[in-house]
Order: sequence, then structure tokens, then C-alpha cells
Amino acid sequence: MKITFKVNGESRSLEADPDMPLLWALRDLLGLKGAKYGCGVGACGACTVHVNGRAMRSCAVPLKAVQGDEIRTIEGLGGDHPVQQAWLEEQVPQCGYCQTGQIMQAVALLEKTPQPSSEQIRAGMEGVLCRCGTYPRIEAAVQRAAGAMTTKTEG
Amino acid sequence: MLTRRDFVLGSGALAVAMTVPWRAEAAADAAAQPPFVTAYLEVSADGSVKLYSPTTEMGQGTHTGHAVIIADELGVDLERVSVVTAEPADPFRRNGQMSSGGSWGVRAWYQPLRKASAQAREVLIAAAAAQWGVPAAECRLERGEVVHAGSQRRQGIGALASAAAALPLPAEPVLRPKSELRYTGRKVPRVDLPAKVRGEPVFASDIERPNMVYACARLSDVFGAELDSFDRESATAVGGVLDVVAVPGGAAVVATNSWAAIRGAEALRIRFKPTPHDKLDSATISRQMRAGLGDGAQPINARADGDWAAAKAAAKRVVAADYEVPYLSHAPMEPWNCTVEFGGDGEVHIWAPVQTQDRNRNAAAAAAGIPADKIRLHTTLLGGGFGRRLGSDGIAAAVVAAKAVKRPVKFFWRREDEFGQGWYRPAQVARLQATLDADGRVTGLHVRTAGPSLSASFSPQGLPAGQLDGSSVSTIRESRYKPAAFHVEWVRVDQPVPMAPWRAVGATQNGYFLECFVDEVARATGRDPYQLRRELLAHDPRALNVIDTVAKASAWGEPLPKGRARGMAFVESYGSLCAEVAEVSLRNGRPFVHRVVCALDCGSIVLPDGVRSQVEGGIVQGLSAVLGEAVNVAAGTAVQRNFDTYPMLRITDAPERIETIIIESGEPMGGVGEPPMPPLAPAVVNALVALTGKPIRELPLTRHRYA
Repeated sequence: MKITFKVNGESRSLEADPDMPLLWALRDLLGLKGAKYGCGVGACGACTVHVNGRAMRSCAVPLKAVQGDEIRTIEGLGGDHPVQQAWLEEQVPQCGYCQTGQIMQAVALLEKTPQPSSEQIRAGMEGVLCRCGTYPRIEAAVQRAAGAMTTKTEG
Repeated sequence: MLTRRDFVLGSGALAVAMTVPWRAEAAADAAAQPPFVTAYLEVSADGSVKLYSPTTEMGQGTHTGHAVIIADELGVDLERVSVVTAEPADPFRRNGQMSSGGSWGVRAWYQPLRKASAQAREVLIAAAAAQWGVPAAECRLERGEVVHAGSQRRQGIGALASAAAALPLPAEPVLRPKSELRYTGRKVPRVDLPAKVRGEPVFASDIERPNMVYACARLSDVFGAELDSFDRESATAVGGVLDVVAVPGGAAVVATNSWAAIRGAEALRIRFKPTPHDKLDSATISRQMRAGLGDGAQPINARADGDWAAAKAAAKRVVAADYEVPYLSHAPMEPWNCTVEFGGDGEVHIWAPVQTQDRNRNAAAAAAGIPADKIRLHTTLLGGGFGRRLGSDGIAAAVVAAKAVKRPVKFFWRREDEFGQGWYRPAQVARLQATLDADGRVTGLHVRTAGPSLSASFSPQGLPAGQLDGSSVSTIRESRYKPAAFHVEWVRVDQPVPMAPWRAVGATQNGYFLECFVDEVARATGRDPYQLRRELLAHDPRALNVIDTVAKASAWGEPLPKGRARGMAFVESYGSLCAEVAEVSLRNGRPFVHRVVCALDCGSIVLPDGVRSQVEGGIVQGLSAVLGEAVNVAAGTAVQRNFDTYPMLRITDAPERIETIIIESGEPMGGVGEPPMPPLAPAVVNALVALTGKPIRELPLTRHRYA
């Protein structure tokens, strides 16, 4: 089946199994390695990408469901996105494997809720697991990014 | 063996080794190579420095620690230092093995790396001094340049590398004084984080090779069951599946992409041979372990201070409690995978996330049927380790699959395999007894632990009958508590469940046993748990300082909001003393940790923020384990197979605040990756018991109800 969608602004067409999760299409067929395989059942969030602006678990989204959609991955953030900068300033990652999912979740959270409370950050980030235990720094980085993004908008 | 090719340097590069096994080899090909090459660092003609680290970077930050040591001692900007994990060779081995574990990464390599960097600095300075015709003593190496004080002449180290390479290395170079260290002890950004934050392909699972195929494992459910047979066509009927290969532990389903391989593995009809433990379950394991606490068991002695029998005979009162902890999964976020490519030159290249390079290289060589020096093991950054990557159980199957299909193969496990294949933190039980005199003072302690032997399962040599498995009593055997009598013993109760060291290893369960029991004794005698610990440590100023520090910082004894309580624990492990106080309440009937204060005496440190991040990580991972983690066994296999049934801590349950106090006592440098974890479980449990009044003797806490 031919699937066409946009990835980070570029139109891509794939001839692939319509049931293939978006995660494997991104990683194996399009060479975008930022989204990670962690569980395959949508329970860990390491594979989080944006589908039409919403954070989704790409391991649980079949290709047939994203026909014509706009996908954004960590590669589409550009490297100096305020959330990525905040992640470096707070020195968040340890092993780093879950962090692309954490960052994509945080970007989606801040786009919807620019000034989240601590509770909103925790609720918004709940779906992405970290085994190294970086949660305290994730919370601090989301707060820092919220500040930076607001300043930028206002400035 | 390391080959020259690993050190292909631009012309004029300098490399310095403490041990230089390949130096003669390099000299034989002098036209193509610099005069000498080295283990730990090379200086390129452009002045950049490449560090070959003996350690695996799995998130603990040792690569940054090593880069800082080198940048400081050599005298270059940290941005000029890049780091890779070395391939196995003697300079990177400790006790004959290249391996990362035991929180040794910085403390073991601090002095060797400083010395190698100081040697490089001295020959670079000597080369400049010779060029300028001035005494070397008048020159310094600063920020990548040698500077002559008198004339202010300066030359970058890249331009000096070639001349320096011709000079003999000083045997005893002079290390810089602390005042000259620019990075050590300061907040330094980690060298591995920019790539991770950009989502660059730094993990083994991200490796791609030309013509590569994907192989998903289909492994036995029952621990250790051997393959009987499979129906190849049941998998090859799936679109994209190319082949099915019998491998150690089961089968590898090879396909053109990961998804096809997974679907093929799930479709594969496969049978495994029966085992004697096809019906094993957790209740049986628990019953057998608890039998080890009884009179009929045969304990192995681990500590026998004073006369326990006399203490018991003279006791006014004896306090006793039994405890039990479950198997735990390491659950690193990156499921096992590696990429194997048979080269045309007889060498096999493997990109793998491993903590034990020699063990894995040897396992790969045996599977490939070639000598170990033909295996080129490239250790990538790891998506978590925590001890799970100390094993070599994943690599042989990958090699066998790649050899069979004659193409580069990315071999991977599903999360279900990562959980199901075991190598867990051991389940264990313990009986603790304390004898008290008329004044309620502790006159004796008796600890018996019982359970399967970690070493027997994990160590290639196994464990002979009658021999003590140190991890089964670690931290209790070495405890600084000194009652007049202190007896520690262990009863071995073998189980067919595979086990591996799990972050902090035996300290995780033993710290819980002893530190919860200290609180039980305090409650039984109506004393403050902190004061009881002070009594037990009265002879030990260093330990007292640690618990006094945490007590003060946590405002121990001062009033708390209603519904909250504090708990304290103190555990020494991996050369560091660590005390924690947790502040706990019940939220919707579940324990919630508001605040954890940690005092860590690890002697001295290199990276303060690195230490803090490890403390935070240890506390969060420790909290995850105590709140909900358990691997249960049924029908000879693990019940929990994914994150939907193995409840790892989410951010919603993370402590609101973690405060770390680093104590630089000047004692020998201790470990940091593991020591902050063991006190967390008992600190939380002690707080919860203080809150509810009900003893907690079985983990995880989800086994208990708080209405």
C-alpha cells in the first residue's frame, strides 16, 4: 500500500505494510533514528513524535492511520529549539535513550500549555518513562523552556 | 587485540600510553604511522585530543569525568577533547577484564588518566623548549599551547605533536597542583549530551550498515529451555521475512525491516524442550527461601564478631523480624540489540551496547568460531545498563544469525524478551535479631539471609558449594555498626532463575533488611531511629558526620505537616557512605515521597553536577523499585513482560525535591553511581512505618494496602 505523509515539512511516499507502526517506517525506511523503540505497546513513550501537532506513540500508530498527516520528529526541531536548549542547560539526560521522546512530549505540552504548573508538567510528561531517573531535571527543564519561550514571544 | 588501525593518526600526531603493546608494531611501519601510538589519548596535528576511555558510557557520565581529567592535566580546553570507548586491550583492563561496573569508572581511572596526560604534557613542553633553546622548566602548557614565560613565545600542541612523539616518556611526570585544574570540581556540561538532545544516532540500535537485514529473536519462555524445533514456513509466510535461523536460546527471524522481523517472530511456530522447572512459581521460590531461615538449613558464616550465643543468653529482650524482596528487572530503556558484520578480511565487526567488553568479545568469538582478536567490538553509547549489560547472553545469537545469512544483521529483542530472559536482581529473604540489655541498648545483632546465589548464576566460574556469595551479605557483613556481638550468615537456596548484578547489587536488598530492622529496634525500645544509629556508630566519626549531616539538612525531629513522616537510612557501599532521609505521606491511598535529602561522603569528586545527577538517578530508581517493581514467576517464566505490568516509576510519582549534600572528606575516592540507591528503600519504608505504625517486611509496597 502506498502511504504519503509529510515528515518535518517534506513530503514522503512509502510502499509499505499499512499495519507497520510509524516508528519502524521512520527508523528503518526513512532513516530517522531519533524516535526510539522501547516497548512496542505505547507504554513507555520513547517513540514519541508529533502527528498533526499532537504527541503520539509512534510504535502504536499504524502507517495507514497517518495517510496525509504531518509528522514531526526530533530531527525536525532543528537542534536549538528552546526545549533542547533547556535540556542542555539543566543537563537532563543520562543514558539519553528516552530523551528524544521526553523532548517531543515537552514541546507538545508547551505548545498547548505555554505556562504549565508543576502539576501540569507532571501530568503532561507522565507517558514517557525514564529508567535513569532524570525526572527532577525534566521538570526543571520544562519550566526553564516555558520561561524562555514566553520571553521570546513577548520580546 | 588492538591494532594499529585503531590509531590511524594524521601526520604529526602524538599519542602517549602508559602501556604501549603496539608501539613496536607501529615503529615497523614508521613511514605510514607516527613514531608511537597509545592507549588513552592522542593529540592530532590540529591540536584536538581524542580520549580512548576504558569505560562504557551508559548514562553515568564517566566519559565526561575522563575528558575533564585529561583536559585539566594536559592543559587543553574541554571542547577540544572527544571521547570514544576503547576496544578491549590491556591498558583498559582491570583484573584482566575490560568492564564497567562496581562504580569504578572515575575512582579507578583517575590516577592512570592523570598520569598519561601529564606524560603527554611533559614531552610536548620538552619539544617546544628544544625548538626554542630554552629550559623546559620555563615553559608551561596552557589551553592547548606551550608558552615560554620569558619570551612569551607560544606554540599550539598540534604543531608540537610530531617532535614530542620522538621524545622518551617521563616515568614519573609531575601532576599539576589543584590550583591549576580548570574543570575538576566545577560545573561542567557533559560531553555526550548535545548529540543525545539533538536525537543523533548514537546508540547501537541506530547503527546501519550497507545491505543490512533485521533479525528479531524468538526465545524460550521457560528460563533456559533449549530449542526443540520450529516451523520455518510459519514465519517466512509473513511478508518481508527472509529466513529463520536456529540460534542459542531459540530462533532469529530475519527480515528486510524490524516490523517484518517482529511479525515473523510472533508468527513462528516454535517448540522448546521440557525443563525440570516448567511449573516453577513465585510461591514455591518464596517457600524454599523461607525454609532457609529455619533450623534445618546449613548457613555459611560471613561475620562472627563477639559471642552471639552469649549475647542471646544474657539478653533482657530479643527483637526479631523476617523480610523478603522479589526479583527485579534492570529494564534499561534500550532493549538488547547489536549489529554484526562479517568483513572480507576475516574480521567480524560488532556494534553493541555492552558493559563487559572482554566477556562479550570472547562469547562472540566462540560463536563465530574465530580467535577473539578477529572480533572488532565497537562499544556504542548505551541506552541504560544498570548491570544488565554485564552479561553476554545476547551476542552469540547475533553472530550465529549474521554468519548464517551472510549479510550484516541487526539482531534485537523485543521488550518482552528483555523482561522474560531474566538475569534479575535476586529475590532474597532475611531474618534479623537484636539482643537488648536492661537499658534497651543493642548488645548483639544476628542476620541470616537466604536465597539464590548471584555468583552461581552470573559468574562464568559459578560458585562452589559451601562458599559464601559475598553479595548475599554485602553491606551487612561490612557494616560499621559495632554491637558487642554481630553474627552474619547466608543460606544458599538455588533457583533456576537467571540473575545478574543490578545497580548496587546486594546492597539493594541488604540495605533494606538491616536499615528497616534498625528502625524496628528503635521502635521496640522507644528510641529515635537517628539517635539509635548514633549509638551504633559512636566509635566512627566519619559515619557520624554523614548521618548528622543528613539529620541537620532534613530538619530531623522538627514538626512536619499532618500526615507526613520522615524515615532515615544509612548504607555504605562501593567505597562511599550514604545517608538519606525521605519525607512521605499517603496520597490517594498510595505512598508519595515529597522530599529526599541525601548526604554522600565519597571522599573526593571530579564533577559535582555528575555526582548530583547520579544521586538523583539512584533515588528515583530506588523509589521505583520499592514502590512497585517485582518480577513474579509462574510456569517457569516471568509474569511481567512489559511496562504495562512492570510498574516503573513515572514522573508523577517522582519526589518533589531531592537535595544532595556532597561531603568531600578527603578519604579515598569512592563510587557514586550505586551508593545513593541502597538507602532509599529503607528510608521510604521507615517513613511509611512511622506514619502508619504497621511494619513493612515485604517489598514492593504495592503488596500492602493503606486505607
